[in-house]
Amino acid sequence: MFLLDFRCHSCFSTSIGFGCALVFLSGFLGCSGEKIEYRDNFLHAASVMSDSDEPEIRSMAQQASQAATELLGPIDAPEWPADIESVVDMGKVRRSAGPVGRDQSKVENGLFRKHCVQCHGLSGDGFGPVAALLAPYPRDFRRGSFKFKSTPIGRKPTHADIVKTLENGLPGTAMPAFRTLNESEEFAKDVDALAHYVRFMAIRGELERRVLVALANGDSQQGDRDLLSRVANDWREADTYAIAVPEWKTLSETELQGSIARGKELFQSELTACAKCHGVNADGKGISQDYDDWTKDWTIRAGIDPANKAEWKTMKKYGALKPVLDPARNLHLGVFRGGATRQDIYTRLVVGIEGSPMPAVARKQNENPGLTEENILDLVEYVLSVSSLPVSGPATTGEVKDERSL
Amino acid sequence: MSEACEPRSHLVYGWAWLVACLTFPLIWLGGLVTTHDAGMAVPDWPGTFGYNLFLYPISTWVFGPFDLFVEHGHRLLASLVGLLAIFLCWFAYKYEQRRWARVVCYAFLAAIISQGLLGGARVLLDARTAAMIHGCTGPLVFTLGCFVVMVCSKDWYQSRPVPISKGLRRASVALFLFSMVQLFLGAQLRHSQPTWIPSFFMSIVHTHLTMAMIILGLILWVFTIVRCNPNRQVVELRAPSSMLVAIVIAQVALGFATWVANYATPWMELTPWLARYTVQGKGFWESMIVTGHQATGSLLIVCSLWLTCRISIRGRVVEDKLVERIAIEEGEQIFSATQPSFMVVGENG
Repeated sequence: MFLLDFRCHSCFSTSIGFGCALVFLSGFLGCSGEKIEYRDNFLHAASVMSDSDEPEIRSMAQQASQAATELLGPIDAPEWPADIESVVDMGKVRRSAGPVGRDQSKVENGLFRKHCVQCHGLSGDGFGPVAALLAPYPRDFRRGSFKFKSTPIGRKPTHADIVKTLENGLPGTAMPAFRTLNESEEFAKDVDALAHYVRFMAIRGELERRVLVALANGDSQQGDRDLLSRVANDWREADTYAIAVPEWKTLSETELQGSIARGKELFQSELTACAKCHGVNADGKGISQDYDDWTKDWTIRAGIDPANKAEWKTMKKYGALKPVLDPARNLHLGVFRGGATRQDIYTRLVVGIEGSPMPAVARKQNENPGLTEENILDLVEYVLSVSSLPVSGPATTGEVKDERSL
Repeated sequence: MSEACEPRSHLVYGWAWLVACLTFPLIWLGGLVTTHDAGMAVPDWPGTFGYNLFLYPISTWVFGPFDLFVEHGHRLLASLVGLLAIFLCWFAYKYEQRRWARVVCYAFLAAIISQGLLGGARVLLDARTAAMIHGCTGPLVFTLGCFVVMVCSKDWYQSRPVPISKGLRRASVALFLFSMVQLFLGAQLRHSQPTWIPSFFMSIVHTHLTMAMIILGLILWVFTIVRCNPNRQVVELRAPSSMLVAIVIAQVALGFATWVANYATPWMELTPWLARYTVQGKGFWESMIVTGHQATGSLLIVCSLWLTCRISIRGRVVEDKLVERIAIEEGEQIFSATQPSFMVVGENG
């Protein structure tokens, strides 16, 4: 190692030279970024064309992405075909897309790259730079599936559902709460604009996936516009499927304890099968060893065992991240990612958590066994009673919302 | 005396302190610009929304959007630092007798101007790469400003040649260089490109963490050997080494907090509190933590340079025999059976 003496000019110059070398190196690494454009969905192409070779898979993915771009525009200039009724506000979509910065009129653009791109990636594919270090992985919007929503499994989330997730974040995950943006006038419209862009990316991603499947199946009957219309229609209908949450009655202490006891019995029963995954004591120690749908998409459904490293690693070159189990929640922790109010828990039970192993409860219909409305309310009281959230005694809906909001 | 060019200029020294002290908040403001992704909050340069930089209405600046406030404030403070650095150069030209010290002052001014131009290029080109280089060089400019303070200090003029172990000298130099590497890695993480694949980002994170452990170990080792023979005679090394320990502890804590503030804790189900923690997007304290981690990194570089300078101006490498002779002459019992084979003593020794 050379000895540094700052009275020796050559040594000082060497030191400065070292600093400059670092700067140039950093510049080199910084320049290593690719061109800003949508990332092709190689992973889905590889899973639907598992028998094809890599060049064919990549070529097909590029074709699908190109088709989506022709209809919905490039990443920095999103557009919507004039002949299809839009389900997003394109003004807000354009504001959220593109590079970060203000124009001369001081309107801030590039909201997605400012707040979301590090995790969700440029294409909303959940493959941002930080993705591999997070647990759970950031959501890939391109399936069009969202976990926390008020609509049944298989239906799209409402705009309000996405706004709610953006505002409240997801506790225990890297998904931030952006409610602070609403506190200042200048950023108050940002969350709404971002929600529109998330819908847009989900629509684009789903269109790309459908085009890919059509290409893989050699199905040229369905035009890309038809596919886009169908996807858009699913989103348009979302509001009509949102469930109604009942008003909560104020329970006396005796009524509450009775409700919790009945809820516990239901929780441990075969009818609900909650205990199978969450454990008899709701501590998450059940037998669940399942993966979420985003992982199953390119593993089990493509004939790959996610537990077999040699098998799943073959998909790494297409952008796969290491498969991670989706464990049942330990309810004692009081972590309810979709919200911790009674209404939120009720919604989770009734509609389930899309894409995860958590199903919707079976509802009693005619002679079919299942849960009545009262049963579900009892289950909600039990779930909240085992959590470590600071709740004292019975509470009305409004009070609970305040106390349990995370 | 290590320098024979007294009297030293108190004006240059004091002015250098002023400029260095103002450069640190500039680092903070620059960090806030990155944290809030406010680099393009003002789309033109050197003007601000068509106004001359200095004539932009204060009310619009102070009560306007926060990112605009931060970016425009960063530009104004940078201008002030640049102006004060011009005066510094003038004072150095008039009153500093050492030619090389004057050159350091001029280099500092040149670095500030270059940094400003780089900031302008970042805006005009809308290039994140330029932003990252700007973020890397900012702390180096601050370090150079602090170096000016060091060379004008009383300690630089009046340091006495004393024996210092070669291991300590090497460790201090390594620490300074590793701190700069760490700065570079941190800047990469702060300015990561959205097109990066996760494995690349992950490798930088892992290198950053490894380097943090190396730096932590080095600082603790330096702190220990500064208090052992023969270095314990050099009391002037204790302040920078203690400061380094304090800074590195704060920096490790801030580093962990930065990760949690950005991406939540990696062990989310360890306790109910951690499991329930929700990251706040662009929250005030979160921004301060993340920016503080970056700013404290600059202090770490400066402090390691401070230690390196204090060691450097007190000696050069000589063989054992010479050290022994000097020690005998000075009547000091500084040798023991465990001494290293090489020692560092003052060049006048």
